[in-house]
Amino acid sequence: MTELKRYYAPTSLDQAVECLKGGNVTILAGGTDLTPQSQAGRIKFRETLMNIRHIPQMSGITLEGKEIRIGALATITEIMEHPLVREHLPALVEACDHFASDQIRNAGTIGGNICNASPAGDTLVPLLVLDACVELASMPETKLYRHCMPISTFFTGSGKTRKSLCELVTGVRIPVPAAGHVSRFYKHGTRPALDISTISIGVAGNLKDGVLSNVRVAFGAVAPTPLRATATESALEGRHLDAATIEAAAVAARDEVNPIDDVRATAWYRKEMIHNMTKRMLENVAQA
Amino acid sequence: MTVAEKKHRIIEPDSLIGKRIPKMDAPDKASGRTRYIHDIDLPGQLHGKILRSARIHALIKSIDTSAAKALPGVHVVITAADIPDQRPIGVAKDHFPLKVGRVRSERDEIAAVAAESEEIAEAALKLIKVEYEDLPVIGNPEDSIKPDAVLIHPEPHGADGTHLHLKQGTSIAHRGKADNVAMRFDYAHGDVVQGEAESDAVVEDTFKLHYVTHCCMGVSGMIAEFDAAGNVQMYSNTQVPFLHKREFAEYLNIDPARIRIIQPPIGGGFGSKLDIYPFEVICLYLARAAKRPVKMLFTREEEFLASPTRQPVLLTLRSGCKKDGTLTFRTVHTLHDNGAYTSWGATTPFVMMQTFSSLYRVPHCDYHTAAVYTNNPYAGSFRGYGNLQATFAIEQHMDMLAAKIGMDPLEFRMKNAQDAGEVTGQGMSFKSCGFKECITTAASRSDFARKFAENQANQKKPGNIKRGIGMASMLHVGGGAKIYPSDGCGTILKMDDFANVTLITGASEIGQGSETVLSQLVCEELGLPISAITVVNNDTAITPWDVGVHASRTTFIAGNSAIGAAKKAKGKILAVAAKKFDCTEADLDLRGGFVIRAASGEALVELSKLLRNLHFQEKAELVMTTFYYEPPSVHQDKGFKGDVSAAYAWGNQVVEIEVDTDTGFIRLLKVTGAHDVGRVLNRLGIEGQIEGGVVMGQGYAFTEDLMIEDGKMKNPNFRDYKLVTAPEIPEMDIAFIESMDGEGPQGAKGVGEAPSICMAAAAANAIANATGTRMFELPFTPEKVYRALHGQTPKRYWKPWKAE
Amino acid sequence: MSLKHEIEFTLNGVKRKLAVDVTMNALDMLREVVGLTGTKYGCGEGECGACTIQVDGVSLNSCLMFAVDCAGRNVTTVEGLTDQPRGEALRESFVEHGAVQCGFCTPGMMMQADHLLAKHEHPDAACVKRGLEGNLCRCTGYKKIVDAVVACGGRDSVTPAQAGVQK
Repeated sequence: MTELKRYYAPTSLDQAVECLKGGNVTILAGGTDLTPQSQAGRIKFRETLMNIRHIPQMSGITLEGKEIRIGALATITEIMEHPLVREHLPALVEACDHFASDQIRNAGTIGGNICNASPAGDTLVPLLVLDACVELASMPETKLYRHCMPISTFFTGSGKTRKSLCELVTGVRIPVPAAGHVSRFYKHGTRPALDISTISIGVAGNLKDGVLSNVRVAFGAVAPTPLRATATESALEGRHLDAATIEAAAVAARDEVNPIDDVRATAWYRKEMIHNMTKRMLENVAQA
Repeated sequence: MTVAEKKHRIIEPDSLIGKRIPKMDAPDKASGRTRYIHDIDLPGQLHGKILRSARIHALIKSIDTSAAKALPGVHVVITAADIPDQRPIGVAKDHFPLKVGRVRSERDEIAAVAAESEEIAEAALKLIKVEYEDLPVIGNPEDSIKPDAVLIHPEPHGADGTHLHLKQGTSIAHRGKADNVAMRFDYAHGDVVQGEAESDAVVEDTFKLHYVTHCCMGVSGMIAEFDAAGNVQMYSNTQVPFLHKREFAEYLNIDPARIRIIQPPIGGGFGSKLDIYPFEVICLYLARAAKRPVKMLFTREEEFLASPTRQPVLLTLRSGCKKDGTLTFRTVHTLHDNGAYTSWGATTPFVMMQTFSSLYRVPHCDYHTAAVYTNNPYAGSFRGYGNLQATFAIEQHMDMLAAKIGMDPLEFRMKNAQDAGEVTGQGMSFKSCGFKECITTAASRSDFARKFAENQANQKKPGNIKRGIGMASMLHVGGGAKIYPSDGCGTILKMDDFANVTLITGASEIGQGSETVLSQLVCEELGLPISAITVVNNDTAITPWDVGVHASRTTFIAGNSAIGAAKKAKGKILAVAAKKFDCTEADLDLRGGFVIRAASGEALVELSKLLRNLHFQEKAELVMTTFYYEPPSVHQDKGFKGDVSAAYAWGNQVVEIEVDTDTGFIRLLKVTGAHDVGRVLNRLGIEGQIEGGVVMGQGYAFTEDLMIEDGKMKNPNFRDYKLVTAPEIPEMDIAFIESMDGEGPQGAKGVGEAPSICMAAAAANAIANATGTRMFELPFTPEKVYRALHGQTPKRYWKPWKAE
Repeated sequence: MSLKHEIEFTLNGVKRKLAVDVTMNALDMLREVVGLTGTKYGCGEGECGACTIQVDGVSLNSCLMFAVDCAGRNVTTVEGLTDQPRGEALRESFVEHGAVQCGFCTPGMMMQADHLLAKHEHPDAACVKRGLEGNLCRCTGYKKIVDAVVACGGRDSVTPAQAGVQK
């Protein structure tokens, strides 16, 4: 009852990208999304189901120069518990902590979360404010080709990305933040876990003498993709984080998002929460 | 051992009552060994699946099942046309298992398939072609009672030309209905006009109660098979096997003696399995047609779509009191959204009116309900049975009236609370009543008065975190409910040669622990350890009649029945022993597996030895007894008056919360409960019932919301239908008030439904205490609370329906 | 008709070789192919935790896992858990603390609790509650489950006398 013709579990990156050449491949990593979606008939299998679990180059969390590289197969639990991440990327730890449930964190991978491109994807907002790049691999001719793409340009719509069917996300690279860098993540759901964000907010920047610079603000679940909030960033860039600046930024945030009504919340409430919680997070940053 | 040797052995008194007795079925359940219906497969079994409506309200113009029938692996495909002997089902007999000519809700059953596997059955459903002609959808009860509303059950049935020559009958399914009113309830005592004239303060508000559903962790299922002689064996999750045996026989047009219901352990009930649902009858049709066992299991999505709900209610309450705090009157009008068909949800006014008439002393009370048809899911019975809805309104008004006359809410409740000896306007007679003690205990343990005043003073102070405390009380039947001709339960008890007991009871175990508590009661009578008993409670071919698991009745009714059988066994044993030891029966007792001298505790003979002597003597005898217990309650008269339960349960719960006014998010900090349970029998079991009920009430108040829009369910999954999760539970401090009911088994009263009832009402009062804002609609989700705090919730007023 | 793939893996300490449908999830494989019914279907979408198993020592929802992805891995279900000392202790603690009512969520709870105790030897109640956040229970209100797991870890164990107060 499916067009599925082949199951393939490559053991090297070359094998995997070679298999992807035809583009008619469904990729299986942690399976936490693909399993229920395919069982419910919401996702149809392509000709080949490729399980990428056994590709060594795609695992692990390492320091490479001035970047932290997280392999696409790193589970949310591995990321949350890794010393490098805990030391340098607290906003990502916070996002991982509120990701689904322990069982799903143990299976779900960051590569999967990126490729699903859900507007409410929990790790995406912190990756945006941390200036992450997505590592892609493919085999245009006969040789492995790898390149990086800033995550801020990666998402094109709900469930849509700039990754082609012949490409594989192999990992994500995040610059190690400099001294004085602050980052925060907030997920607004109704319970600690097993929840899809009503909205989520990420804030990052360098804080010196009460002034925030190199500001990054991103929002989740307020648009078809998680997005950088440029107007909010401008309202903050280079300014002293006083009450007036914070309120102006919170208002800018509310004005620049254009969320929808759905079963989780109305657009009105989402805008209110963007305002109130951006404000609360900035007050928290100001006190840091 | 000889009698002489045992002279020195003294057996000290001991009791199982009030102890923490682990559930007897727990070790297997915690090992994954328990076989639920999902885990049972019969040889030759087929898998059944149901095609449900693709429309909310429509005429069925045609159904084409030919492609489905042609699919390899498909054994049977049926529609209403294939079952000419379909009989209407449900509480009001207003629908057929397979819908005839018309669909009235999203869940409606159109066709069914039995196939070699679930996958093939599902594939076959996709091949069935149905043509519809859409009808206007009635998505809420207010529209349903408008004079020009489309009729959900127009008369005559099948006027659209698709009439299938059904046997004419008098049911709604056959003859239709001239309006959309499914049921009416009108009750009164006293004179509310006089009551209002005597009032110094009057409040009137409209409350809106939402859809929630049971969410049993084990999805619904059934296995049906027919033997060669046409006898039916069903594996069913029902809570009421004996009533269903009779009903299934009616639907199959066979003698009830031919129906045997076996109840495997069930993955949660909570009232959901009190009615017969279309899938069960359809499963029987499939098995009958296929001549093979057919198993039908829901998916979780189907469980949401096709299970009953709690009754959604729109309720306008007018209440009054005098300056001195005496309640004067209550006028209640409710509009129940019945959904497309009638199940037990429509009859929740039986319970609701008791709360309005009798929770507090109120001299004048008028109560009116219209349950009306819509194209929404239909409501069934659910733990608490209307009482959560009634209590939500009444207990908010208790706080509001108290505030209006400047009285402390605690004092106001105490002034109007019932006492033992009271016979209420509705004829309920309170023999044991620890209500006032419940209120004072919950209040003092939670330091209610101090916190209430502090929080109120804090409302206008700066800061986005506000604390609130609120209380609510409850009254519920605790000694059965005489709804059916009998509210009784039968017991068969037998003892073997080793002094082991087999308790055969009509009472079903649905996870609540009845098996264990009944064992305790029997072993207490017979002086035996729990390990000496085996319980048989799951097969209508073996167990004696019981009306079923509902109305918090099992401990009380089945308990008294089990005690009755045990007392008879004990009487027989002591009579034999008295003869043997040349004394009177009153000189003897049973304790620790021995016959003892009652005065000294001296062990006389091992019980097993005595039983063997009895058995293997010349005139052989066994100890086998039966008992049928019928509670001393009465049926209500036509005006709904009468002492319908043998005992009543009372309680008070205090809820403490923290509101974040920036988000509307509420943290439930603590629940302090005091419940009059008569007497604690199994402390472990009763704590589990209360804690589970509190958290179910928490879900009703804060997180659960089955969203229905024009008949369409928006969130049929656990992602967006939010059950409370472990990190959200409050601290719980539960006190038991032991009023020692004179009729109750060892003094106990029923408590299964009680703990869910107060939560939403107490939470509403806590929100008002924290913020000064009163919320009249559930649930208190962050957005709803935030909107209320920001004046974004227009106050609803539903103009009361006039009594006829 | 449907594509099959042969896998080898270890199930509750026993090596298994099975041909499974490539599209089948691990839950269906355990229940329908292997015949171990202790692992329960609650929702099929990872939202309830009733199907929790352990794979290579971590807890997963078996409904969210492809059966073929078990290849080469070490799978434990509730049937294997209670053969191990910690699983046995957990079962006893669940029984003693009244953590079981209808019991349908219990196998998943046990599997997740065991994983939690493997990571945190002596968790407190807050840690246990977070650890069990992916497991829904409709009967107990979670308190007795939390008590059972905390007691099994030997920290802040709730004595029976504290848990309820007799009037």
